[in-house]
Order: sequence, then C-alpha cells, then structure tokens
Amino acid sequence: MRIGVFVCHCGSNIEGTVDTAAVAKATLEFPEVVYATDTMYACSEPGQDGIIQAIKEKNLTGVVVASCTPRMHEPTFRKAVERAGLNRFMFEMANIREHVSWIGKNREANTNKSLDLVRIAVEKLRRDAPLIPSKFSVNKRVMIIGGGVAGIQAALDCADGGLQVVLVERESTIGGKMAKLDKTFPTVDCSSCILGPKMVDVAQHPNITLHAYSEVDSIGGYVGNFQVKVKKKATYVDWELCTGCGACIEKCPSKKNPDAFNEKIGPCTSINIPFPQAIPKKAYIDATTCRQFVKGKCGVCAKVCPTGAIRYDMTDEIVTEDVGAIVAATGYDLFDIKKIPEYGSGTYPDVITGLQYERLLSASGPTGGHIKRPSDGKEPKNIVFIQCVGSRDKSLDRPYCSGFCCMYTAKQTILTKDHIPDSQSYVFYMDIRSPGKMYDEFTRRAMEEYGARYIRGRVAMVYPKGDKLMVRGADTLAGTQVEIEADLVVLAAGAEAAKGAPQLAEKLRISYDKYGFFMESHPKLKPVETNTAGVYLAGSCQGPKDIPQSVGQGSAAAAKVLALFSKDMLESDPQISRVDIKRCVGCGKCIMTCPFKAIKEVEFRGQKKAEVIETVCQGCGICTSTCPQGAIQLSHFTDNQILAEVNALCQS
Amino acid sequence: MPVLTGKELRIVGFLCNWCSYGGADTAGVGRFNQPTDLRIIRVPCSGRIDPLFIAKTLINGADGVLVSGCHPRDCHYAEGNFYARRRLEVLKRFLPILGIDPGRFDYTWVSASEGQRWQKVVTAFTEQIHTLGPAPRFDAVAPELLAKVAGAISQGGNRVAA
Amino acid sequence: MSRLEELKTRIKEALPGLECVIGWQKGYDALHNTPLFMRSAEDVDKLEWGALNVHNPAVYLPTMAGKKVGVVVKGCDSRSVVELLQENLINRDNIVIFAAGCDGVVDLTKVKAKLAAAGTGAGVVTAVSADGKTVSVTAGGKTVAMPMAEVAADKCLRCQYPNAVLADTFVGTPAPQPTPVPSANADLDALDAMSVPDRMAFWRYHMDRCIRCYACRNACPMCVCRDHCIAQSREPHWLSQDDSVTEKLMFQVVHAMHLAGRCTECGECQRACPMDIPVLALKKHLNRTIHDLFDYQAGVDAAAIPPLLQFKTEEVNIKERSW
Ligand SMILES: Cc1cc2nc3c(=O)[nH]c(=O)nc-3n(C[C@H](O)[C@H](O)[C@H](O)COP(=O)(O)OP(=O)(O)OC[C@H]3O[C@@H](n4cnc5c(N)ncnc54)[C@H](O)[C@@H]3O)c2cc1C
Ligand code: SF4
Ligand code: SF4
Ligand code: SF4
Ligand code: SF4
Repeated sequence: MRIGVFVCHCGSNIEGTVDTAAVAKATLEFPEVVYATDTMYACSEPGQDGIIQAIKEKNLTGVVVASCTPRMHEPTFRKAVERAGLNRFMFEMANIREHVSWIGKNREANTNKSLDLVRIAVEKLRRDAPLIPSKFSVNKRVMIIGGGVAGIQAALDCADGGLQVVLVERESTIGGKMAKLDKTFPTVDCSSCILGPKMVDVAQHPNITLHAYSEVDSIGGYVGNFQVKVKKKATYVDWELCTGCGACIEKCPSKKNPDAFNEKIGPCTSINIPFPQAIPKKAYIDATTCRQFVKGKCGVCAKVCPTGAIRYDMTDEIVTEDVGAIVAATGYDLFDIKKIPEYGSGTYPDVITGLQYERLLSASGPTGGHIKRPSDGKEPKNIVFIQCVGSRDKSLDRPYCSGFCCMYTAKQTILTKDHIPDSQSYVFYMDIRSPGKMYDEFTRRAMEEYGARYIRGRVAMVYPKGDKLMVRGADTLAGTQVEIEADLVVLAAGAEAAKGAPQLAEKLRISYDKYGFFMESHPKLKPVETNTAGVYLAGSCQGPKDIPQSVGQGSAAAAKVLALFSKDMLESDPQISRVDIKRCVGCGKCIMTCPFKAIKEVEFRGQKKAEVIETVCQGCGICTSTCPQGAIQLSHFTDNQILAEVNALCQS
Repeated sequence: MPVLTGKELRIVGFLCNWCSYGGADTAGVGRFNQPTDLRIIRVPCSGRIDPLFIAKTLINGADGVLVSGCHPRDCHYAEGNFYARRRLEVLKRFLPILGIDPGRFDYTWVSASEGQRWQKVVTAFTEQIHTLGPAPRFDAVAPELLAKVAGAISQGGNRVAA
Repeated sequence: MSRLEELKTRIKEALPGLECVIGWQKGYDALHNTPLFMRSAEDVDKLEWGALNVHNPAVYLPTMAGKKVGVVVKGCDSRSVVELLQENLINRDNIVIFAAGCDGVVDLTKVKAKLAAAGTGAGVVTAVSADGKTVSVTAGGKTVAMPMAEVAADKCLRCQYPNAVLADTFVGTPAPQPTPVPSANADLDALDAMSVPDRMAFWRYHMDRCIRCYACRNACPMCVCRDHCIAQSREPHWLSQDDSVTEKLMFQVVHAMHLAGRCTECGECQRACPMDIPVLALKKHLNRTIHDLFDYQAGVDAAAIPPLLQFKTEEVNIKERSW
C-alpha cells in the first residue's frame, strides 16, 4: 500500500496548538507512508484538490487525513478520494481538532498525541479493504396491517403518494376503536363524521387493496422484497356478490348474540354488518352462533339474499402479497376489568367500560344514543367514572399510563351533561394528564362549565344497594372517605397491547416490550422505525396514543415508506459483517445477539453456517464480538484492525 | 513516542461512534480542557468491544483503558450497550485475579450532548490512573517478588499458592 | 447388577442404532484409564466405571456432529453435554446419553504426590482398587492406601450434580451429593488471599512454565474451534506465535473469557495440562462472577440462554460507577 498523510491546520484551530508540519514529517517513518504534508484547510476546495492531485501524482492507494472529527467530514473526504479513483473506504481520519487541539494548550503534548492518532489511523488503513455497495430492486408496494385510524392514515398517504397499498384488517370492517367512539376530544366533534370519509376514501382509492376479515399468516423476505401470506378468513358470504343490503340481517333468526362492535352491551344477529358505515359494507356469518353451523339447519339467509351470495361451504383462503415495506398499525385492546373484582364488573351489569359507554352515547349504538343503563334500561342520574383502571398500577403489572383516559373521561362527563342535563358526574382520578393543545382547557371545562365533580383518590370498592351501586373511595385532597350513590359506574379501562401482538411481532421479526407493545428503533429519534429494515409502526401498537398522535404517526410511517421507495434500487451500506464460512461452526450465537435479525442460518455442504443478510445488517459489530471463533467480521472494524490500533498504542 | 515520558501515561479509550465519540467531539467544540494522555479508538458500538481488546491492551502495557458508550436504552443499535454492560462488568471483575488493578479499567455511558460529562470522566479517570502510576508489567515482574511467589508455589506443589 | 454391568447391558442393547458409544477403558497402566469408542459388543466389555474415569467424553461429541452416537457420562460430563446442547453445538436427536451415579474421580496429580510421599517412585502402577472411601494403589510392589477425600479431584469434593443432569438411560442407584469440603476451593481461596501484585507474579511464574501446547484447550469440551482457535489464526490475528509470557497469558485470558458463562468447571483444562498449571482457577473465578452477577450456572438447563448472549434492560446486580 502507498499511503499519503494530510495534516490539516484548520486555519489556526489545529495549527495553534499542534505543530502540523512536524506531525506530517514524523509520519513518513510509519510503515507504507510514502507521502505526507500539512495543509491549510483540507476540506476546502484547494485542500481536496491537493489530496486528489497527490493521489494521482504519487500513486497513493490509501489516504489519512488528520483534521476534525470524522463525524463531520468523513463523507466529504471519502467522496474526494473516490473522485481520484480510489475506493472510498481506503480512507481514514485522525481527529486532531476536537480530540486534541481544542481540549489542551500544551503544544508538545498535542503534537505528540496527534502523531499517535495518525499512527493508529495508518495502522487501521493498512488493513482496510475496498468495499462496494450492492444494489437490489425494491417492490414499491406497501402492506399496512391494521385498519384503525393510524393504519387508514398511513394507507391513504402512501396511496396518494402513488404507492400500491395492501391493507389487512382482522375485523370485517376497518375503523378500529375510533369507529366505536361517539364524539372525540378536545373538539367534541362526531367521530364517525371525521373518520367515515377517510374510510370511504380507502374503499374508493384505486391504489388500495383491502383484505378485511384477514390476518397475516407468515412473512418471508427482507426490506424491498417481503412475501406476506395473508389468511382471508371464511365469511361464508361471497363479497363479490354481497351488496350490503341487509336483507339477511333482518331475517336471521339467531338474534341474541353479544355484539362485539357494541362491546357486547347489545345483541346482534349471526349474519351481520357491524355498523351502517362499515367499510367494506359486507355481511359475514359468525359460525360459532349461526344455526346452519351449530344445528346443521336453517339456511334462512341463503333464501333471502337477493344476489345469492351466501356460501356455507366457504373455507379460509391464503393469498400471497409481495411488498417492499410493511407498516404495523394494529392498535390496542382494553384491560380486562374483571381482573379487579372490587369494582364489581362481571357481577353488576351497571359497571361498564368507557368504550361501552361510548356505545351508549352513540346514536348508532344499541340504545340509539340514549343513555340507558344495561340492567333495567333506566336513565342514570348519578354517574361515577373511575380512572386508571388497569393503568399506573404495579400490582396488576400495568405500571404505564394509558394516556388518553383522562381526556376521554372528561369528554364523557361533558357528553353526559349534554344528554342528561339533570345528571351529576363524579370522577375518581389519580392525576389529570392533559398535556396536549387545548387539552387542559378541555378538562377544566368539564369541571367548571359542566360541573363534573373530580375526586382525587382511589376507589376501594363498589357494592350494590337496592337498584343503586355504592362507590366507596378516598378523597386524598380532603383527607376523607367518600361514598357516592351511583346509577352507573364507568371504568376507564386502560389500554393493553392488541391481542396477538407478540405473535405478529415474531412474524415481523420486530421486538416488543413486556406488555406486548412494539418497540420503536429509537425512543426519541426513530419513533416509527423498527430495528427491522422496511418495517414501520403507526399508532397505538407502539404504546397508547390518542387519535391526533395516531394519525401523526400514520403519516410519519407513510413518509418513511415513501422515502424508502423514492429510489428504484436500494443500495446497501457495505460496512457490514461477513462470515468466514471455514471458521463458522454454525452455533448461531451471532444470530441470537444481532438486534436486527440480520443473520440467518444456511446449509453449506450439509453443515450449518451463519450468513449475513447484506441489506439488513446495520454494521454494529455486536456479532463480531460475540463469535468466539472470530468467524464473523465487521468490515472496516475487523478484529485485526482494532488489534492493530491497540498494538500501535501499546508499542513503546 | 506514544506518550510524553514522565508527564503522560498510556491510556486507551474505546468509544462508540454515535454517543461517546460525539460527546468527546462536543467537549472539543466547547473547548473543555482535558488531560492529554487518552488516545481514542473509534468503534461503531460499545457492543463491538470485545472485552479481550481491553485485556490485550492492559496486558500489553497500557496503564489504563476507558470504555464509553451510549446510555442504556439509547444505543444507536438498540441493544449493543446492554450486551456490552454484561461483558465489561465481567471483565472488570476478572482483571484483579490476573494481577491487574481493576482501577485501570472503567466503563461508562456518555451521550453526544454530554461534553461536560465527558470532560469530567476523562479528567477523573486520568487522575485515577496517575494515582495508580505506571502499570506493572507481566514481562517485567520484579525478581524478588517473583522469587517470593515462586517459593510459596513450589511448597504447595505447583497447584496451591499459599 | 453393578452400575458397570447394567451400563454394559444397556449399551449393548442400544449399540445397533448408534455409530459408537464413547466411554472409558483401561489404559497403559492400572492408574490411567483412557477414552473408549465402543462399536461392537466386545468393545463394550472393555468399559470401565469408577474413580479412574477422569476424562470428559463430551469433548468428542462436537467432532461427531451429524452421526448418531452414544456417550457415557458422569454428572459433570453431563453438564458439558447440556451446555453443548444449549449452544447448538450438538443435536439432541443425535445423542444418546448413558449415565450412572458418580462417587467421584481421582486427581492423578494428588495420587502421584501421595505415591511420592510414600517413597513409591514414578514406576508403573500395577493395581488400583477403590471402594468409595479409600483408593489403594500398588506400584513398585508396594500398596499405598489413600483416603478418597484426599485424592479426589477438587470438583468432586464440591460436586452438586453427581447424577447426570440429563440422561436417556440412567442405571443403578443415584449417588448421594457429597458435602462440600473447604479444601475443594483451596486454589481460588489462595488467589483471593493474595495481593494484586502477587497475583501478577503468580501468573508470571506459571506462564514462564507454560509450553503453549494447547492441551488445556484441546481437552475443553466447549473449545469447539479447534484448528480455528483465534490463538493460532492470522484472520483474526489475536496472538503472535511469540513464546512470551504476555502472549501465553493472553491465551489463557482468551480461553477463560471465551468460556465466561459457558464453562461447567469440568476441570479438563487443568487436568490435561502437562505442566500442572492451575488454569482452572481463572475459570472458577469467572464462574463465581457469572453466578454473582446473573445467578446463572452453565450446563444445567438445556433450554437456558447463556448469560452473555442475553441481557436485561435493568441489571439488578451491576452497580455502575457514577462519575
Ligand atoms: C373509551 C375510549 C374513548 C376514546 N376517546 C378518544 C377521543 O375522544 N379522542 C381521541 O383522540 N382518542 C380517543 N381514544 C383513543 C383512540 O381510541 C385511539 O387513539 C385510536 O383508536 C388509536 O388508533 P389505532 O389505529 O392506533 O388503533 P385501533 O383503533 O385499535 O385500530 C387497530 C386496528 O387494527 C386491527 N388489528 C389488530 N390486530 C390485528 C392483526 N393482528 N391483524 C390485522 N388487523 C389487526 C384492529 O382490528 C383495529 O381495526 C379513546 C379510547 C377509548 C378506549
Ligand atoms: S457465532 Fe460465529 S461460529 Fe457461531 S454461527 Fe455465528 S459466525 Fe458462526
Ligand atoms: S454487524 Fe450488527 S447488524 Fe450486522 S450482522 Fe452483526 S450484529 Fe447484526
Ligand atoms: S474451561 Fe476447563 S473447566 Fe471449563 S469447560 Fe473448559 S475444560 Fe472444563
Ligand atoms: S496445557 Fe498447560 S502448558 Fe499447555 S498451553 Fe495449556 S496451560 Fe500451557
């Protein structure tokens, strides 16, 4: 190798406390250094030209620049040596500004230290190899898993950006939790009025393919080229023919089934369309209750369907979708309030969840928008709301805050007053968390304008008294015990990871926390990325989020996908690990520790070996220091390079 | 000459690129004065640091080794420092049995914004190494000490040292 | 039926389905047993069981990957098998484990010291008998009776698993767990008691004697790299072939650190060392650290993940320095 060393003055930034000329001269003693000079501003145009000229004239095959931090100008100099015909990885930097000249004034010590830093740069460079990025094509289709408001937003933004979108939703309709809400804080506008049009856009967008009543079965491949098998669950209705007219629902004799869309506070038929604005507006049969399936005879819906769409013999179907990126937007589910028996849910029908209450408030709900309590259909006058049920509770292994309950409880007290002007709401709370735009004002309004009585303290128990419920709790501000007679108790059940989230995470090869929420790549700087390239997150699947946050994330994830797909070919960073197949014993330790699942097991002549997936490896080198065989080496930071640096510093 | 004889000791740092190397840069930008002994080897992630690099550096005569990475949970590669923490702690506890003062090795976490913290860490660690003085070397154990230990060993029949 | 006879019967039954079964047989004299690879019923008849079965037969398993083999194990050997399974280095479907309760094996260094003390030189040992309490060794026409407690391997004196932790066929009555004796830890206790500079002198003394034969590594069942060990390779080039004390010590550090969280303390490294260098002390020290930090022991649970291949976001036992 023929190495050239360029020691930068950086005006007086370096030269002021480092004798750059002396450093340059001394480096000529280093092995393979054939040329060395000091230079005024290495990064300036003349500086770069000087380097290029020297490479050409002195036939240099590697370059060391001793100047500022590589975190600043490494890319600049790499491009410069590339312009001179060298591979851009045949270049090293010694940081003699931030790490030397700027942190000490002793010229002798600084000069000496600079020389040492150039020495290790030279030793590392001597072991550098040219690296060439490989390119691969991207399939510019994206799959969104979960059709809640976050998934809908991501799908629409991607589709508007010109991408083909495949939206996979587990239920028979998209909309998620938001579709069940009556009104939304902090503006109290009607939830279905703002969500409905978006859902219709999804149905009508030429770039969106919707697989409703479907789940992801398996995922293969990597960023740019995933193959996803989607299981389309049997609906027993041919959706090509179903017009959503509802004739079947009218006639279905099995009418007393708990309605999942109405959070089981109302009944529904076995063949059903969850709500009038459902997208797709298609009927499906719940085979666990349908008489045709349970008793083997009925067939009413088949008889009444005007288009003959009923198919009792339908089976699950697997379709394969090839996509280049995936957005997970599977949302959340609710904490099971039966886990707190003191609150009496399960025992007393008038203890319900906040989401059930939304259904009671909603005009499309089981009571047509009249608040009637489940037990006897009476209009409640005294309503007690209990917050943090299954949130911020270590004893239930739910130490986290569910984020939106404070706000929706305030909203519900406001709506209650609107529906029943002579009602009184009471709210037991721990703290009020309302740090959004107009949020705190909103909770104040609930108290000040709508007269909700907020009591700071925990509820100890709920017990029946006649046809009422007694709520006993502490008022920690007054330092007293309180007991309130309630007609209805609404529990702000906390948010939990969506059912099946960990299983989906395994398929996606992304991490999830101990509660089942998906892990973002970086808590601050990469909130919608995951450690698996090409997989992004949106909405509450990452942690509880309200609608504005979920929508924001949906758009953010879409932006990431659009950026990823902005190139026809993806270039992978060649600074990745590589396996020496002779040394590898196939133990899989590297596979276990790689945070990015970038290593797979392969068979080579009947033996197990590790193989790095170039496009997925991020170049951290955790595998390299894991493998006892030294069989997997991170390019540009190989054991030999670091050892050479160590040896150079230890030599006397 | 790697170190200034009589003034500096040989201290080697292994820093992750994303946090601590950046933190050291920030200290530079802020002109936070530091002792000059430390020589920094840049690695992508603290998870890249094989504890054997540190053992090798110390056995080969360095007077101190300092490792710094991103704060736990802030690793650029998500998990590198979690693995590093386990490996480095094991090494730190292993060194004294080899006859290396554990004070010659420390590991810590410094973020890219913590220039002042970096200055503090470097200053304190350098001071600590100067207090310990130049490291005794395996290839230069004092003959009297060697004779004393050897005597004790041969009494115990090679295995047990009294 | 004795443990040995029952083992033989069971191995003979299983042999047709196996490439071979690894065990022990008599060696060049009555004191030294050596590994036995049983391929036929006649081979099985050579099998030995008892205090002289010092070798750990698990060391051969990774080299036989892909073949279906049997292995006879003592309690400690079984932990190596489990660790190999934990690390995917062998395939459970290809291994049949035969085991019996172990009453401990001798430390040949201790036996030889006793012989020397009794004035019986290095001559050929003609007979050895052991009854669990006493080992009687006949050499040069003279029989020396040695209490087992004084010549047993240290690992046996503090053995927690005298009965295999994993076995397909376990014969005979299980062996009782010995009550640990303090002397079993004399090596580590002595090192603990030394000052740090004395320890450096200690290793310096021993590394001067090390002939870098790699017997310690070759005997280690977890050192599966063999020819590719980083102590000898150029890519990566961790060590020079220099015969210096620093390179030799570094080699021991490589072995120890590579075994951190993986070593089952089978003691083969130290037993194999022709120079009687107490290399096991380094691993024992690390095992103690691993136990303190992660409450973990290698080779007892085939499903456990070795501690350095995993982490916790909050480490309960690691107190980091505050600056
Ligand atoms: C009672 C209550 C009232 C609320 N009121 C308000 C309010 O007024 N204002 C506000 O901003 N927020 C409110 N929220 C919060 C709001 O519900 C959430 O912010 C929002 O629903 C989050 O949207 P999402 O898309 O992330 O998740 P979700 O709405 O949960 O949607 C997730 C979707 O993914 C689907 N899915 C799940 N798993 C899979 C899978 N494996 N495969 C395919 N599909 C899957 C689900 O079926 C669902 O359709 C309220 C919450 C509650 C409980
Ligand atoms: S850790 Fe090393 S030997 Fe094991 S599979 Fe990975 S590369 Fe191969
Ligand atoms: S360098 Fe990091 S990302 Fe790449 S294979 Fe190794 S551990 Fe995985
Ligand atoms: S290092 Fe020694 S004691 Fe540990 S497993 Fe290997 S041979 Fe056995
Ligand atoms: S067996 Fe003994 S002499 Fe041989 S390399 Fe190991 S420690 Fe050194």
